[in-house]
Amino acid sequence: MTDLTTRWLGLELRSPLVVGAGPLTDDLGALKACVDAGAGAVVMHSLFEEQLVAEQMAAHRFIDSRINMDAEARSFFPGSEMFEMGSRSYLKRLERLRNGLDVPVIASLNGISPGGWTHHARELEDAGAQAIELNLYDLATDPGDTAATLEQRQLDVVRSVVEQVSIPVSVKLSPFYSALPAFVAGVEKAGAKGLVLFNRFYQPDIDLDQLTLSRELVLSSSAELPLRLHAVAMLFNRTKLEMAISGGIHSGDDAAKALLSGATAVQVVSALLAEGPQALARISDAMSRRLRNMGYNTLVEARGALSLANAPDSQTWERLNYARLLHGWR
Amino acid sequence: MAFQTLDGNEAVASVAYRLSETIAIYPITPASVMGEHADDWAALKRPNLWGQVPSVVEMQSEAGAAGAVHGALQAGSLVTTFTASQGLLLMLPNLFKIAGELSPFCMHIAARSVATHALSIFCDHSDVMTARGTGFALLASGSVQEAQDLAAIGHAVTLEARVPVMHFFDGFRTSHEISKIAALSDEELQALVSHEGVEAHRARRMTPDRPVVRGTSQNPDAFFQSREATNPFYQAFPEKLESAMDRFAGVTGRRYRLFDYVGHPEAERVVILMGSGAECAHETVDWLLEQGEKVGVLKVRLFRPFATDRFLVALPDTVKSLAVMDRTKEPGAQGEPLLLEVSGALMEAWSRGERQTLPRVIGGRYGLSSREFTPAMVCAVFDELKAGAPKTRFTVGVRDDVTQLSLEVDSELDIESPETRRALFFGLGADGTVSSNKASIKILGEGTDLYAQGHFVYDSKKSGATTVSHLRFGPLPIRSSYQIRKAQFVAIHAPQFLERFDVLEHAADGATVLLNVPWSSDEAWDRLSVEVQRVLVERNARLYVIDAADVAEKAGLERRINTVMQVCFFALADILPRDEAIARIKDSIRETWGRRGPEVVRRNVEAVDSALAHLYEVPVPDKVTATRTRPPRVPEDAPDFVQKVTRLLLEGQGEKLPVSAFPPDGTWPTGTSQFEKRSIAQEIPIWESDLCVQCNFCAMICPHTAITAKVFEPEAARNGPETFETVPETHTSELEGLDYRLQVAPEDCTGCGLCVEVCPAKDRTRPKRKAINMQPLEEHRETEAENLKFFRSLPDVPRDRIPRDFKSLPLLIPLFEYSGACAGCGETPYIRLLTQLLGDRLLIANATGCSSIYGGNLPTTPYTMNADGRGPTWNNSLFEDAAELGLGMRLGLNKLVGRARQLLDGMRDRLPQGLYSGLTGPCATLDETAVAARRKAVARLRDWLAEQQGPEVQELVSLADELCPKSVWVIGGDGWAYDIGYGGLDHALASGQNLKLLVLDTEVYSNTGGQQSKATPIGAVAKFAAAGKETRKKDLGLLAMSYGHVFVAQIAMQSHSNQTTRALQEAESFDGPALIIAHSPCIAHGYDLVNSPAQQKRAVDSWAWPIYRFDPRRIDEGLSPLQLDSVRQKVPMKTYMQEEARFRMLELRDPERYEQLVAAATEAAQDQRELYKQLAGIHFEPHEHPESGSEEGESHD
Repeated sequence: MTDLTTRWLGLELRSPLVVGAGPLTDDLGALKACVDAGAGAVVMHSLFEEQLVAEQMAAHRFIDSRINMDAEARSFFPGSEMFEMGSRSYLKRLERLRNGLDVPVIASLNGISPGGWTHHARELEDAGAQAIELNLYDLATDPGDTAATLEQRQLDVVRSVVEQVSIPVSVKLSPFYSALPAFVAGVEKAGAKGLVLFNRFYQPDIDLDQLTLSRELVLSSSAELPLRLHAVAMLFNRTKLEMAISGGIHSGDDAAKALLSGATAVQVVSALLAEGPQALARISDAMSRRLRNMGYNTLVEARGALSLANAPDSQTWERLNYARLLHGWR
Repeated sequence: MAFQTLDGNEAVASVAYRLSETIAIYPITPASVMGEHADDWAALKRPNLWGQVPSVVEMQSEAGAAGAVHGALQAGSLVTTFTASQGLLLMLPNLFKIAGELSPFCMHIAARSVATHALSIFCDHSDVMTARGTGFALLASGSVQEAQDLAAIGHAVTLEARVPVMHFFDGFRTSHEISKIAALSDEELQALVSHEGVEAHRARRMTPDRPVVRGTSQNPDAFFQSREATNPFYQAFPEKLESAMDRFAGVTGRRYRLFDYVGHPEAERVVILMGSGAECAHETVDWLLEQGEKVGVLKVRLFRPFATDRFLVALPDTVKSLAVMDRTKEPGAQGEPLLLEVSGALMEAWSRGERQTLPRVIGGRYGLSSREFTPAMVCAVFDELKAGAPKTRFTVGVRDDVTQLSLEVDSELDIESPETRRALFFGLGADGTVSSNKASIKILGEGTDLYAQGHFVYDSKKSGATTVSHLRFGPLPIRSSYQIRKAQFVAIHAPQFLERFDVLEHAADGATVLLNVPWSSDEAWDRLSVEVQRVLVERNARLYVIDAADVAEKAGLERRINTVMQVCFFALADILPRDEAIARIKDSIRETWGRRGPEVVRRNVEAVDSALAHLYEVPVPDKVTATRTRPPRVPEDAPDFVQKVTRLLLEGQGEKLPVSAFPPDGTWPTGTSQFEKRSIAQEIPIWESDLCVQCNFCAMICPHTAITAKVFEPEAARNGPETFETVPETHTSELEGLDYRLQVAPEDCTGCGLCVEVCPAKDRTRPKRKAINMQPLEEHRETEAENLKFFRSLPDVPRDRIPRDFKSLPLLIPLFEYSGACAGCGETPYIRLLTQLLGDRLLIANATGCSSIYGGNLPTTPYTMNADGRGPTWNNSLFEDAAELGLGMRLGLNKLVGRARQLLDGMRDRLPQGLYSGLTGPCATLDETAVAARRKAVARLRDWLAEQQGPEVQELVSLADELCPKSVWVIGGDGWAYDIGYGGLDHALASGQNLKLLVLDTEVYSNTGGQQSKATPIGAVAKFAAAGKETRKKDLGLLAMSYGHVFVAQIAMQSHSNQTTRALQEAESFDGPALIIAHSPCIAHGYDLVNSPAQQKRAVDSWAWPIYRFDPRRIDEGLSPLQLDSVRQKVPMKTYMQEEARFRMLELRDPERYEQLVAAATEAAQDQRELYKQLAGIHFEPHEHPESGSEEGESHD
C-alpha cells in the first residue's frame, strides 16, 4: 500500500487528489462525498474580481439608481443597508466549507489588475482559508500591451496578494507563456509557494445555426493532460515552487502520470462534474493500485521520477524528440 | 440634544415604532414610507421601548389593516398604523369601532387629497376631515419637528385619555420634507409615556380569564345612552392633552398648546389654520410685525375634540376680523370644517355673553392637492381682512374666473430672510440628484450649526422623470413650507431641461447657475437660447458649466452624475470650506455605499476627485446674443385644448391656468401623449430595411409604442419625405401588394433597447448589425420625426385585411402610445396589444396603480383615437374596485344596448329593407368584417332617422352606436387582483357577465415601491418580505378555474407572444367572464429589463410562470378545459431565480435560507405542474344545455 499522504503548500494532505475550483464546490454535500471518497483538499470556486465589480455596479445601476426617483416609490427594495454586494456571501460559503469538511480548504481568487480587490485575500484568510489559489486569467486583446507589460502586471498582482496574507499562495497559470520557466522564477520571487498548471480558458464556441457565440462549459478530457505533464516535468527541480496539475485528470493513470511528472497535488474537476463524487473514489482507487503495483511506498519516491531531470530518456521531453517523431512517421 | 436631518415620515415612524408592539399597515402614498421604515427596523431587530421587536404586518388593504389594528387593540397590544387618503376612508368603519370602544390608539396620517374627479397623491385635509366624525381626536402638525413631537404626544395622551388619536401632517410637504430636527431619545419617550396607561389598557384586554363581550348589537333602548356615556372622555381630553404637552415641554423644552398663537398681542387681523400652511403664515406674520402690522396667526393643534374654551383664550380679544383657512373643500357646505368650528365657538361665546363683540369671520380654501401656499397668499388674506367688504368665502392660490372667489396675489413678494441660502436643482429621476441632495442636507444639517431643509418635487413619469429639489439652509430656523421662489443657486442637471421649461424662472438676482452640458466653456454661451441668455443677463447671473456625464462615465458610473454635481454645488455655494466639503461628501459616499461594495465607493470617490477640474465659469456678456428661441412645447398644429391647457401643464405653468380652463367633471380628451415629445432616449432604433424580415417582434414588445409597423397602399407613401423608406410586404400572403415600413418615434422612445434585443434578423457578414440598431438620437431626431408625422398620416388598410396571428397583429393601429411608463416596462405591451385588437370598441375600468398612472396621469394620456375619432374610453375609480367598476359598466352598457334594440324593434316595420337584419344579426367584437358592416348599417340608420320624427327617434339617434358591439376590460396589477380587489374580482367572475379582467402581474406593488403582494413568489425579497417570502404565490388562475364558467389564461408576451395573442382573442370571444394573468417584468425585479424576454422565457421554462389557457367551451367538445402551453420543465428553478436581484439579494444575505427557498420554490412548481398536468388530462362528460340564453349576456351577439 502506497502512503498517499503529501504536503502541499505546507498543508498536510492525506491524498494528493484535490477537488479543484469549479461549480461543484458550491455544494457542501457533494464535497463531503468527495472527501469521504478520499479527496485530500478542496479548492473553492473563484472569487472573481470582474464578477464582484460587475455585481456591485449592477446593483448600483439597477437598485440604487432607482432610489428617490419617484414621488410614490422611495425605492423598490427593502433598505439597502441590509444587502451587501461584496465578497460576503463567498466568505460565508467558505466558512461553511471550513466547518463542514475535515480537509484543508483553499480559497481561490481571480483577478488581473493590482488594485483594490486584492484586499479580499485578507478576508479569505480571516474566513479560514488555509491557502489561496490565485488564478491569473488574462486575455490580451489590446495591441498596445506587450508580453512584458502583461507579465509584469501579473507579477505585481501576485506580490500584492502575497503581501496581504500570511497563508501560502499558489498561482494558477495559463499554458501560454513564451518563457514559462523565467516567468515561474518571477512568481517564486514574488513570494508564491506553489504553481497550478494550467487553467483552462473559457472557450466560447460558434453556433452556426444562430450565427452567434455559444457559451457552454466544455469539460476537459485526458487529451489535455500531456501539455501539463510536459510543463511540470520541465519545471521539476528548476523551481522551488510545489506544483499541482489541473486539467485532464480523468483516471487513476492520469493522476499517477501527474505525480511521476513532478506534481505534488492533482486537481480533479471535470470528472467530478461528469460523474459526481464517485469519480474521485474511482480515480483514487486506480491511482493507489497503480502506484502500489509500480512498487512505490511513498509519493516522494514517485514524484518527478519521470521529470526532465530524472527520466531515462529525458530528451524525449525536449524538442529533439519532435523531429524524431516526425521522422519516424514517414 | 441630538440633531438629525430626516423627513417627516421617518421622524414619525421612529416614534410610533418605538411606542408600539403591533403595526398593521398597507402601502399608500405618501404614507407608505412610514410602514417601510417600520418593516426595515423590524427586520433589523430594532427593539421598541419595551425591548421587543414590534410585529409589522402588511395587510390586503387598509380595511384589513384597520381590522387587524382593532383586533390587536382588543388583545391588549400597543398598536399603530400609517395611512392616507383612500386608505383612511377604507379604515373608517373600524375607526368608529375603535373610538366607540375607547381604545387607546394613535395612528399617523400623511394627509392627502381624496380622489374626486381625479386621483391626486398630493396634500390636503380632505381625508382627515372625512374622518372627523369617527370619535378620534385629530391632532395636526405643521413641520417635521412638530410631526415627531406630536406623534409622541399623541401616543402618550391616548393611553391616559382612552380617546384614540389621529395625528396628521401634510403629505409630501411634511412627510417628505427633510429637515434638521431635535430627535427624541428613548429616555425622553420613556418619560412621556404613562406606564399606568399601558397597564390599564392591558387590563382591559379580552381574555377568557376575565370574559366579557364587546361588539354587541344594541337596540333603541340602549345604543343612545352608551354613546352619551363616552362624553366625559371627550370632555377630559383637552386637559389631558395639555398635561401631556406640559410633560413634553418639561422633558424636551419644546412647548405646544392646543392652539398656538403667534403675532401681535393686540392683533386686529388674525388667520386661523392648521398643518404646514400655519408655518408659512407664522413666517409671514413675523415679517408683517416687522412692518408694524397688528396681525397674528392661530395655529390649531387639536381640531377634535374642539376645545372652545382654549380657543377663546388663545384668540386675542382685540381681533376685528378673522380668516379661517381650510385645506379641504366640502361642496355645498355652509363652510369648511374649521370655519364652522370657529364660527360656532365664537357665536356661542357671544350668545353666552362671554364676548361682547364678534369679529368679522371669513372662510377660505387653500392648498388643495399641494397647491402652493406662500407668504404672498397669506398677505393677500390679511389684505382681504382689511377690506371694507371682504369676500365671506374665498380661495387663494387659484385664479377663479368662474365664481370669482379667488384673491389677487402679488406673485413677486419675497419675504425670505437673506441669510437663508436657497438652491434649486433640476434633475432626472435616475441621475441621483435627489439622493445626493438628501446627502447634502445631511452633511450641512448634521455637520454644521446651520438649519437645513429639503423639499423634492417629482413629475409623474416613470421614465425620464424630472425632479426638482428645493434646498434651504442658514443660521435661522426655516418655516418656509413652500417651494423656493428666488434661488441664489440653480443647477440644471440635464441639458434638455433648458429646452423644455423655464428653468431659470426662480433664479434670484446675482444667482449662480450651474449647467451640466456636453459643451466646452467656449461654446456654452452660444448654445443657449434667447430666453436663457436673457435671464442670465438681466439677473446678473454667474454661469458655470461642466460635462458631468463625461466625468461620471469616465469614473465608470455611466450617466449617474449626482456626486459630480454635488461637488460643484459645494464648490460654488461656498457654505463649507471646499476641502472640508469634499471630505464630507466622500464620507457620505462611504457611509451610503460602503456596504454595497468597495468598487461602488471607489468609482464615486473618483468622480468626486475629478469633478472640479472639469468645472468652468462662462463669462456672461452684457447682452443677449442668441437668435434661437426655445422651441414651442407642443407642435403648432396641435388641437386648441392642447395649445391652451396641456401646453401650460407641460411647461410647469399649470398653476397659472384659471378655473374656467378646466373641465368641471374630470373629463379630458384622449390622444394627447403624442404632443408631449420628451426626447429622453440617448439612442433610438434605426431600421435597416434590407435586413428586416417583417416579423414585427419589435413592434410587439415595445413598451412605449415608439416603434410601430404599418402596411399601406404603395401610392399612399409616394409623397413621403425623402428618407421615408418603404419595402413591399413580402411575408404575409393576405397583404400582398401592400408596402411596409417600420417607424420609430424618436422623441417618444425611451431607448430601452428591447426592440433590438428581440430582432432576429442579422447581417450575415456582420451579425452585430441587425434589422434595427440603436443609434444616437441626435443624428436621427429630425428626419425620423418628419417621417413619423408622415407615417401617422398614412391611411390604415381595412382592419379585416390583417390576419389575426401574432406576427401580423402589430400591424393594427395601436391606440395606446407614448406612455410615461418605465423604460422596458413589461405591462404596457399588453395594453397596447389590447387596443390593437379592440381599441375602437373598448371600455376600460382601470385599478389604481402603475397602469392608472402611466395610463391617466395628466398632463397627457396615452390612450388615443383612430382616424374616425374612436378609441378606448377609460376610467380609474379606486384601487380596490376596478372589477366592480367594470361590471357596472357592463351592466349599464347592456341596458343601453337593450334599450336601443327595443327602440329599433319598435321601428322595425318602418325601417328600409334589410336594415333591421343588418343591425341585429350576429356581430362578434373580433369579427372585423361584421363590425365594419354593422358600423355602416348604423350610419344608414342615422341617415334614415334624420328624416323621421318623434321622441323615440331622437333617443335612438343617441343610442344607435350601442348597436355596434363593445367590450369591457378591467385592467389592474397584482396588488389589486390578488389583494385589495380580490373580493370584487372574484365577484365579477362569479357574476357570469361578459367581462374581461387583465391582471398585469409584477408580483409586487410596483407603483408604491415594491411591497410584497400575495402574487410575490417564494424566495423573493420585497418590502415586508425583507428576509425573502416564505409562502407560495397565490394561484389566482386556479381559484378562477374552480368556477368552471370562467375563461382563464396565464400569459407571457415577451417570450410567448403567439400564446398571448391566442389567449386574448379566445378570452374576448368567450361569452362570459375571462381572467388573464399577464407576466409583467418590472424594475422591481432588479435586473436590466433589456434581458426580460430571455428572463421571462426562463420563468416559463422553469414553471415559475406556467402558461396555459382554460376554456370552458372545450368541455362541450369532450376536451379538458385546461391546455398547458408549456408542459415540460425545461430549466431548473434556480436558473430562473439567480438572474434577478430580488432573489439574488437573499442569496447574498443568507445563502442557506436562499437554498431552502429555492428548494421550496422548486417543490411548489413541481406540485403545481403535477396538479395542472392532471387537470389538463381530465375528461368531463359534455353538459346538456337547455335552450335559453341569459338576457343580460346577449350583447355579445
